Amino acid sequence: MSTPASEPLNKPLSATVSKPRRKPFRFPWLLAYAVGYLIFLYLPVLLLPLFSFNDGTIVAFPMKGFTLKWYAQLGEQDTLLQAMVNSLIVGAVTALVATSLGLFAARAYVRYRFKGRELSEGLVMLPLVIPGIIVASSMLVLFISLGLKPSLTTVILGHVFVALPFAVSIMKSAFDDFDQSLEEAAFDLGESVIGTFRRVTLPIVAPGIVASLLVTFTVSFDEFVLAFFLSGNQPTLPVYIWSQIRFPAKLPNTLALGSLLLLASVLLLLTAEYFRRRSAKSA
Amino acid sequence: MTTQNIIEISGVEKRFGTFTAVRDLNLTLKEGEFFSLLGPSGCGKTTALRMIAGFQDHDAGSIRIGGQDMAHIPANKRPTNMVFQSYAIFPHLNVGDNVAFGLRKLKLGKAETEERVAEALEMVELGGLQSRKATELSGGQRQRVALARALVMRPKVLLLDEPLSALDKNLREAMQFEMRRLQQKLGITFVMVTHDQYEAMTMSDRIGVMFKGQLKQVDKPEVLYARPCSQEVAAFIGGMNFLDAAVTGEADGKLHAEVQGFGLLSIDVNPNVARRGPQLLAGIRPEQLEISAQKPGGYDGYLQGTVSNAAFYGENVHYHVTAEGLPKPIAVSVPNYFHTVDHKQGDPVWLGVQNASVIDLGAREA
Repeated sequence: MSTPASEPLNKPLSATVSKPRRKPFRFPWLLAYAVGYLIFLYLPVLLLPLFSFNDGTIVAFPMKGFTLKWYAQLGEQDTLLQAMVNSLIVGAVTALVATSLGLFAARAYVRYRFKGRELSEGLVMLPLVIPGIIVASSMLVLFISLGLKPSLTTVILGHVFVALPFAVSIMKSAFDDFDQSLEEAAFDLGESVIGTFRRVTLPIVAPGIVASLLVTFTVSFDEFVLAFFLSGNQPTLPVYIWSQIRFPAKLPNTLALGSLLLLASVLLLLTAEYFRRRSAKSA
Repeated sequence: MTTQNIIEISGVEKRFGTFTAVRDLNLTLKEGEFFSLLGPSGCGKTTALRMIAGFQDHDAGSIRIGGQDMAHIPANKRPTNMVFQSYAIFPHLNVGDNVAFGLRKLKLGKAETEERVAEALEMVELGGLQSRKATELSGGQRQRVALARALVMRPKVLLLDEPLSALDKNLREAMQFEMRRLQQKLGITFVMVTHDQYEAMTMSDRIGVMFKGQLKQVDKPEVLYARPCSQEVAAFIGGMNFLDAAVTGEADGKLHAEVQGFGLLSIDVNPNVARRGPQLLAGIRPEQLEISAQKPGGYDGYLQGTVSNAAFYGENVHYHVTAEGLPKPIAVSVPNYFHTVDHKQGDPVWLGVQNASVIDLGAREA
C-alpha cells in the first residue's frame, strides 16, 4: 500500500525475465534422496537378470562365471512350458474380454448422461483398491458354490475383473477427444449404426484398443494372487514360479525366466504407451 | 423454377425433460430455397435442424420432406445431408475417401464413384486433392470437404449447422458468397442455422427468427429488416432506436402518433406486428436518421440534441445524441464519405427523420 508505485510493477517484471533460466541445483540431499529411491526401486529388479547369467545355484556375491545354461534349460521343462501356455491363454482371453467390455463401457460413460453413471464408474474402478487376497478368496468361495471348479476359466473371470479398470480408463481417454459428430456424420451419410461403428468409431479409437489389449494382457500375465487361488491344477506362470522357488536348485532357472518376462513386460508396456500417445494425438 | 414444397413442418414440438426446446413449429420451405434459422444460442434452432436431419425425434406434430412423413425414418434413410459445425471430417481417411464415404452404400461402380467424388471436389474448388490427408487441411478446406461430402449424395435438402462460425472473418465473407452461388447453381434447398444476422441476411432467400423455442417471424431479409414483427426481433437484427409513441389517430393504413422527441409523425401500419396495445413502440434505424449542425430541410420529424459520443467505425461513423426527455441516447450512423468525424462530443446537432423511416413495432414488451 505505502510502497512506491514502481515497485509492484518492477517485481513481476524481473521475475519473468529470470524465469527461463534454470536455477542451479541447490539441494544435494534431494538428489541423494532421489538416487537412493531409484536404487531401492530398481536394484532388486536389476539383480534378477544379473544372477540369471551366474554359473552357480547360490544367489550371492561373489559371482562365479558367465553362463547361458539356465536359459537353455528353460526349453526342456514341460511343466514350465505348459504354465507359459496357460498364462498366454489367460492373458489373451482376459485382454480381449476386458478390452471389449471397456470399449463399450467407456463409450457410454463419455457419451451419455444416465442415471447411476457415476456409481457404476466407481464400481468398475473398485478392483484397483480392493486387496487382491480378499477378491481371490471371495471369488473362490463364489465359484465353488456355483459349481465352477478352479480352472483357467475361473482365472480368466478373476483377471477380467481386475483388468477392467485399466481397460475402461484407457478407452475413456480414447473417447474423450472423439468428436461425436463424426459418428453422426457417418450415420447421416447413409451408413447403418453397426457400419458407423465399424467404419468410423473403431478405426479412430483403434490405437486406444491396442493400448488396452497390451496393458490388460500384462496385468493378467503378472497376476499371482487370484491365479494362485483360482487356477486349481492348471497353474499360470507366476503360480508355477512360486512353486519352484522352494527348490534351490531350480532358482537360477526361475531367475532366467523372470528376466525374460521382465523384458517382455517392458517391451509390451512401451508399445502400449506408444499407441496410447498416438491415440491421444490423432483425436 | 418449380415452387413445390420440399419441407412441411407443422405443429412440431420438442421437449427435453421439463424444458421445451421447440414449441409449435410451423414452416414450409420451397424447393431450391436458401432458408436460414436465425436466433441467439439456446433458442432451439439447432434442435429444429436436428429434427429435420433425423438426429432427434419430435414429440408432437409432423415433419414431411418431399411429401413423405419422416416420423419413423432415421437420419441415414432421409433425403437430407448435413454439414456439421465442427465439419466432422473423418481424420483416418483422406479427402477422396471422406467425400466417397456415403457413396459406398449406394453400390456405384468404382468409376462412377470416382467421377462423382471428382465432380464434388471440383464444385468446392478442391479439385485434385483426393489423396490429401484430412489432418493436413486448413479450416476453410475442411469446410469445403464437408460441403462436398454432403453434396456428393445429391440430397433434396442440405442442412448446415453454423457452417461458417469456425472460420476467420475474411474467409467467412468469401464463403458466404461462394455457398450462395453453389446453392443457386445446384438448385438444392439449403437450411442453415446461424446466430449471425449478417450471414443470414447475405445468403438467404428467407430467414426465420427464433426466440425461446418459438419461430417469431419468417420473411425475406429486407422485409425482416424493414418490418420486424416485434421489439425482440427488431433488436436482434441490425441496430434500432426504440421510442415510445402515443397514437392520436389511424387512417388509410397510417398511424398518426406523437413520437418521443420527434413530434407528430405518420407511420405505416406494420402488417407483421403481433402485439397491439394502447402504447405504440416506434423504431428508427440509426442509418435512416439525418444528422446536421443546422436544421436540415425536407424531413417530417426533427429532434434537437447534443452529441454525447462519436466513434469512427471505418465504413461509417456512429453518434450518440442525447436530448431532454429521452431516456436513452439516439444512435445515428452516417456513411464515411470523407474520412472525417463531423460532429464532436458536446456539439449541438439536429436530427431529421422521414415518416417512411419510422417502423411500427406494436406494443412495447414488458
